[in-house]
Amino acid sequence: MLSHAEASEKFIADAERTDWHDETLWFVRAKRDKASKVLPEWEALREHASQIKDHTLANLGSYLQAFEAKAQANGIKVHWAKDAAEHNAIVHGIIAAQGSQLLVKSKSMLTEECHLNDYLAKNGIEVVDTDLGERIVQFRKEAPSHIVLPAIHLKKEDVGETFYQHLGTPKGNKDPQFLTEAARQHLRGHFLASEVAITGVNFAVAETGEFVVCTNEGNADMGAHLAKVHIACMGIEKIIPKRADLAVFLRLLARSATGQLITTYSSHFHKPREGQEMHIVLLDNGRTRQLADPKYKNSLKCIRCAACFNTCPVYRRSGGHSYHQPVAGPIGSILAPNIDKKANADLPFASTLCGSCSNVCPVKINIHEQLWFWRQDLMAAGLAPVSKFIGMKLMAFVLTHPLIYRMGGAVMRRFSRLLNTRLNPWYKQREMPIAPKASFQDWYQKR
Amino acid sequence: MSAREEILGKIGSHDAVKHPGAFQGASSDFDFKASLEVVGARVVSPEELEVLFPGRRRYDKTMDGLSLADVEVLEIDGEFGVAENGAIWLTEEAMPHRVAPFICQHLVINVSEIVPTMHAAYERLGGVNSGFGLFLAGPSKTADIEQSLVIGAHGARSLTVVIRS
Amino acid sequence: MRVALFVPCYIDQFYPQVAVASLELLEKLGCEVVVPKDQTCCGQPMANSGFSSSTAGCDTNFSNNFEGFDYIVGPSGSCVLHLKEHHPSEKIRNSVYEICEFLTDVLNFSSLNASFPHRVGLHQSCHGQRGLRLSSMSERNEKPFSKLQDLLSLVDGVEVVLPARVDECCGFGGTFCVTEEAVSVKMGQDRIKEHNANEVEYIVGADTSCLMQLEGILRRQGSKVQVKHIVEILNHA
Repeated sequence: MLSHAEASEKFIADAERTDWHDETLWFVRAKRDKASKVLPEWEALREHASQIKDHTLANLGSYLQAFEAKAQANGIKVHWAKDAAEHNAIVHGIIAAQGSQLLVKSKSMLTEECHLNDYLAKNGIEVVDTDLGERIVQFRKEAPSHIVLPAIHLKKEDVGETFYQHLGTPKGNKDPQFLTEAARQHLRGHFLASEVAITGVNFAVAETGEFVVCTNEGNADMGAHLAKVHIACMGIEKIIPKRADLAVFLRLLARSATGQLITTYSSHFHKPREGQEMHIVLLDNGRTRQLADPKYKNSLKCIRCAACFNTCPVYRRSGGHSYHQPVAGPIGSILAPNIDKKANADLPFASTLCGSCSNVCPVKINIHEQLWFWRQDLMAAGLAPVSKFIGMKLMAFVLTHPLIYRMGGAVMRRFSRLLNTRLNPWYKQREMPIAPKASFQDWYQKR
Repeated sequence: MSAREEILGKIGSHDAVKHPGAFQGASSDFDFKASLEVVGARVVSPEELEVLFPGRRRYDKTMDGLSLADVEVLEIDGEFGVAENGAIWLTEEAMPHRVAPFICQHLVINVSEIVPTMHAAYERLGGVNSGFGLFLAGPSKTADIEQSLVIGAHGARSLTVVIRS
Repeated sequence: MRVALFVPCYIDQFYPQVAVASLELLEKLGCEVVVPKDQTCCGQPMANSGFSSSTAGCDTNFSNNFEGFDYIVGPSGSCVLHLKEHHPSEKIRNSVYEICEFLTDVLNFSSLNASFPHRVGLHQSCHGQRGLRLSSMSERNEKPFSKLQDLLSLVDGVEVVLPARVDECCGFGGTFCVTEEAVSVKMGQDRIKEHNANEVEYIVGADTSCLMQLEGILRRQGSKVQVKHIVEILNHA
């Protein structure tokens, strides 16, 4: 597995494509800016949403139980899963009881986190992802590169080629309208035939026991309303206390994600359809561990809008696949180390700590500060390469001793030309700063 | 120990962080018609509707999910519209079937009451009184192919709204 | 007013002219400036690399040099932000100022005897802007303000232009500049492209780390565009 830095280097090697990727995502950030500037109350809304989430996380246990009670009273079956394996087994069990081999799934990053598709495939069950972007990457056997725009890394030529191979569209046709129509027809067949539909959950309301699923395409609903069984998969942090709170989040979500006023569909599921079985699976998978750490608890406020992705200058120039796990970008970099410290130790360092992410986050997650905390925790856990460890200890020593610092500085300036070598990563594409003969302190002492 | 007990046990005790209450200070100067246009819906008069879709189907309790797949134009009544974003609240009772507004090729919605914002919308809704409801804002759409906006993804290809007084 | 000048380590070693300009400017504006001799570094390079546990010696040395001062002023937004957020001494945290912050918020003056008749592109360094609030940020729905532009408006002849993306990061990011070299350089190149589109003669900012990054790329490109720290312009006769 390539580290973020290694993968990014490969990505950037195609400078033109990197520019295209960067500009495309910056455009989404710009749309978000435009939408946010229209509402004078924007910053107050962010603060309000943040406080609702803080309160919810502080009382998560009672809200989850309240939600469970109400949902069950309405005929929804509630399941709890402590980890991904348990989640997958529960979902499989429900499907197997139904006897289905074919099912449709609308976008759920949680199911990516659990690698549900692979698990079900191993058990002979084919999952058809119905979000257009997800279907495209599914055909290509790739992971989504963005949690809202799964195929943002692909050009229309790429999609055209994929649909030519899998849907028989004419070779070379890259017209988005035509390709979307082809996907519509293809997936419509699956919607009409499937007996089981899996969806994610954007928000679950403790007060009423209902859950809300937001889409622009209508694919979640096309699946759920025709299926005999609807399984909704949800992280425990998706709970919100009251119905009225939905107003705050629905006003912030689409504007933050794409600059839209609201997604085309915000579907509120309260009871199963008559004759339908409705299930909801509540997943932990490390969320309780994140909740217990005051430094990282705030990361659970996330409503998966991806505004942080779109604004991140590093993400835009490295692409989602460089983050080597399901949720990329800034939020991914503070969630992933909780799941696997060693595998994801590079991610909190894939940042300049510019702080842009924290300031577009609709729920005011202090992402850039958590990136800094993760750096401390990961180094304390012994995950620094030896060279870095030694270098840091040396630096600390020199900077603690003024005389050694001054001598070291003088030597460095005297022999700075030795650093003009491609072995010095700085020097690959930049000139070193010109070393003055005298340091400031040298000059000042003579003044 | 069940997963439920384990998870609730790990979550532990609670905190006095307060809920901030209802949001105050929302703007109110929104134009429902303008918002409808932004989300890709078209507004017509009742007369224009007759000319556009003379053969449209209306609410019919006998329509089941799959038979709705053949419906070209479906007309349903919305409960109210939201001026800030052009969304219209629909309930299960207004549709023949939950899938109706998605599965038809073209959708027509009648709406007469408008509220300014989502806050007002949820106040208007009060408690839940339907097994299923949704805010529907415009025709289905996607920009998943290189950010090119395409109207008509899996749900209805178009939305025509009649604002009835 | 008695002020201690905090000289960031890389300015001391590589860009002494920035500290010279800071010193001269503060003296011009009536401050008595003391320069502690044994200061080394604020500790940020280690802390941002995950080794805040190793900065104790550095922090103590900072305290030893700067204790007793009500105003510790330094020409670096990122170093000052680091001290404000992470130095163990509350007195130090409350006494440290970035120089533009100090000029705008503490010193009282309405004119400068400075002239710099050139077209300059303004780079809004992230820590100064989003951390120290030296200017408004594009992410927020807030009334625009800029301490940097207010100060530059006092300089005769200077023409300030902003790049298309007014506050995107330059890509330096501390050790990021070498650990993620490809992304770092691409970010810097993109900034420069935007400044070039504005045909500026200089790129100006309040953080020498950003300027060092941009200068490294500019010189590799053989560009005529130079970098200047804002104090060099404010102090320019």
